[in-house]
Amino acid sequence: MSRDFTIKIKTVSELEAFRKRILNDLKKARVVLTLCGGTGCQASRSEAVSTAVKDELIKQGMDENVHVRVTGCHGFCEQGPLCVIEPGNTLYCNVLPDDAREIVTKTVRDGEVVERLLYTDPVSGKTIQTESEIPFYRAQDRQLLAQNRQVDPCSIEDYIAIGGYSALAKTLFEMAPKAVIREIEASCLRGRGGGGFPTGLKWAKCREAPSDEKYVICNADEGDPGAYMDRCVLEGNPHLVLEGMMIGAWAIGAREGIIYVRNEYPLAVKHTRIAVQQARDLGLLGEDILGSSWSFDVEISRGGGAFVCGESTALMASLEGKVGEPRPKDVHTVVDGLWHKPTTLNNVETWANVPSIILNGSARFASKGSNGSKGTKIFALTGHIKSTGLVEVAMGTPISKVLFDIGGGPANGIPIKAVQTGGPSGGCLPADKFYLPLDFDALAEAGSMMGSGGMVVMDEGTCMVDVAKYFLTFLQDESCGKCVPCRLGIDRMLEIITDITEGRGKSQQISLLEELGHTISQTALCGLGKTAANPVLSTLRYFRDEYEAHISKEECPAGVCEALITYEIDPEKCTYCGVCKLACPYEAIMGAKEEVHTIDLQLCQKCGICRSECKFEAVQIN
Amino acid sequence: MLQYVTLEIDGADIVVPRGLSVLDAAIEHGICIPHLCHVRYLSDIGSCRLCIVEHVVNGRSKITTSCTLRVQEDMVIQSNTERIRKLRRNLAELLVAHAPNSRAIQDIAVRCGVKEVRYPFRNENCVLCGRCVRVCSECAGANAIGFVGRGKNRRVDSPFGSLSEFCVECHTCIELCPMSIQPCIGYMEPGEERLCGACESQLDLADELPGHCVWCELGENFQCGRY
Repeated sequence: MSRDFTIKIKTVSELEAFRKRILNDLKKARVVLTLCGGTGCQASRSEAVSTAVKDELIKQGMDENVHVRVTGCHGFCEQGPLCVIEPGNTLYCNVLPDDAREIVTKTVRDGEVVERLLYTDPVSGKTIQTESEIPFYRAQDRQLLAQNRQVDPCSIEDYIAIGGYSALAKTLFEMAPKAVIREIEASCLRGRGGGGFPTGLKWAKCREAPSDEKYVICNADEGDPGAYMDRCVLEGNPHLVLEGMMIGAWAIGAREGIIYVRNEYPLAVKHTRIAVQQARDLGLLGEDILGSSWSFDVEISRGGGAFVCGESTALMASLEGKVGEPRPKDVHTVVDGLWHKPTTLNNVETWANVPSIILNGSARFASKGSNGSKGTKIFALTGHIKSTGLVEVAMGTPISKVLFDIGGGPANGIPIKAVQTGGPSGGCLPADKFYLPLDFDALAEAGSMMGSGGMVVMDEGTCMVDVAKYFLTFLQDESCGKCVPCRLGIDRMLEIITDITEGRGKSQQISLLEELGHTISQTALCGLGKTAANPVLSTLRYFRDEYEAHISKEECPAGVCEALITYEIDPEKCTYCGVCKLACPYEAIMGAKEEVHTIDLQLCQKCGICRSECKFEAVQIN
Repeated sequence: MLQYVTLEIDGADIVVPRGLSVLDAAIEHGICIPHLCHVRYLSDIGSCRLCIVEHVVNGRSKITTSCTLRVQEDMVIQSNTERIRKLRRNLAELLVAHAPNSRAIQDIAVRCGVKEVRYPFRNENCVLCGRCVRVCSECAGANAIGFVGRGKNRRVDSPFGSLSEFCVECHTCIELCPMSIQPCIGYMEPGEERLCGACESQLDLADELPGHCVWCELGENFQCGRY
């Protein structure tokens, strides 16, 4: 499709005419070949795949009536690069550039299915042809993610074709700002960034704040280890976020918006820039939008990679050119925010939920979810689980459904021990809490939090004290260091936990850890500090026996903490093959041929290489 | 014309000018709220967290620093509850374990009720209260020092580590530094740090009248607002 750059959409009817024209254009394509081009799939060479497919189509002379669409992330990242071919909705997984020829020849030209590229269900061992039959997709409720597959993020036409910007048109001409806020309030939408603050209330307060200048900000400074929901939405469907921001800006009376996106998301930065430029070109951003005499524009600001800049006040400080440090929020940012003006800051996913609430009504949105938490939420499922990727489910879905029905259960057959929700400052929930619904209040009550939606699955081979130590190390690195409880408190917690994992722990340190954790969570300045103790407090709550084993028995039940374990070769299982001896980088393994091997504990550095190399499971941890 | 507001701190109704912080209002009326990073004539950043109070709104209490909280009409503040005392003691314990070689910090620890220190001492020279940084930029107008680094690497330094040409050597930063006076027991070498606790400065009075300013000599050492 070629774009007429001179066209400006000045009225709603022009928008509808434009939409009709795009839909007609799209009908011309006989086959639509959708390739995932998200960051995850790009790492698996999806760009080379799309080039190969396009070359092959030209070679076979089919580039005229086959539409190749490179989209954002589909969510099933574990199987990427993904390729979906319509009609037929055939899904191919793990596609390589070399497969392009076969796909074009067989599926596109002849309409046949390439059996070897289909998804194989790990449980039944059967191949599955379409997305909707795959358990990973079937059990989800993909309100936001499903759009990613229909839209080329670099094409505003694609977004308009699926009904894009009609929510904006409805807002501008059929709803007063107060009606928009009432609709958002009625939907019970709560902030997807972590805090879960009611979005409608935030907007209403910001609207009431007296000022001639107001701002809307989209927080795309996602930095939790293992979580990438916001990246996926922003790089896969940037216009959706833009439209949400425009509706919010209209509601609170802002004329300027800022998207704060971290620079480590180059694709998201690129796609957002393109989207903003396209919207400006078409006249959907700028002066007198759709003839409503309302003006609004968006700027993109790139974050330098500090985790704490995801905190609203630190983000605003960063935007003002100051050091990215939080400030006390005794006066909320909806009154005194960016440049001391009223500012509404929402997370990417929150903004992305807005257009459909306006277009389809709050009742439809609120029909999904649990009592206190409505709508759907995207989770990044990672760790020791079969199917990793992005999962969108209605709020209130039990954790077990996400882990077992969608995720397919543990990856290596070792039972799942815990799941960490809410990113580094969330908590670890044990297996007997997997019945809990995924909603803001239930998770907070259980000592964890929704956070932005990270879900790290850990199996029995994980030491929970070590996990707490990992997250504390992350938080210590990322704390800004401004306030005493966060800077010194996390440091001391890490000191104590390191003592425990290295066999120097004392039993009174457990209660000290708890007391210190509660002190930090009550006195720290910002949200990062207030939740920083969660990994420790939640593991202490549910896995206290592991802490006690480290201290009193000086052993690590999971066999992870190096200082507390020794490696040993079982003489009955050892076949004297010598593989471990060759693999050991420290030459700590002794034993001639045809002789049981032994490990010299003084030389052993506990790297575990011998254990992973041994095919007979003769190397054991004590 | 000055506008006044009435608020309640620890059960006492006090009338203070609008725009004042709760901490300043309390100090002015003889209610002691321990503090470290606060200096009367400088902006407040709420970094030491020692001046935490419970702000009661609609029956729910929220913990916040009193230096950054502005007074409002009919505000209810509790500065000396069991909960606050415990949290404050834990914070003071963190501070004194980090930098025991300061009379100001030792005194604050005593005043906040620290009886033992449960962490290994560290003997650091700075607690990053930021008094020096703020006085340099706000009073001297020099901006000759600032915070550098993040998290545990955060420190106070001059630009690029060399003396700034804007420094007029006014020494105000040194005067305000809580680390500038040794503890009464003298300088403690690394490894021999301990909680001083030897101070007899009107502490008995402070115990009898908890939360009330007794013009303790401790206050002098951390430039309490009364001095």
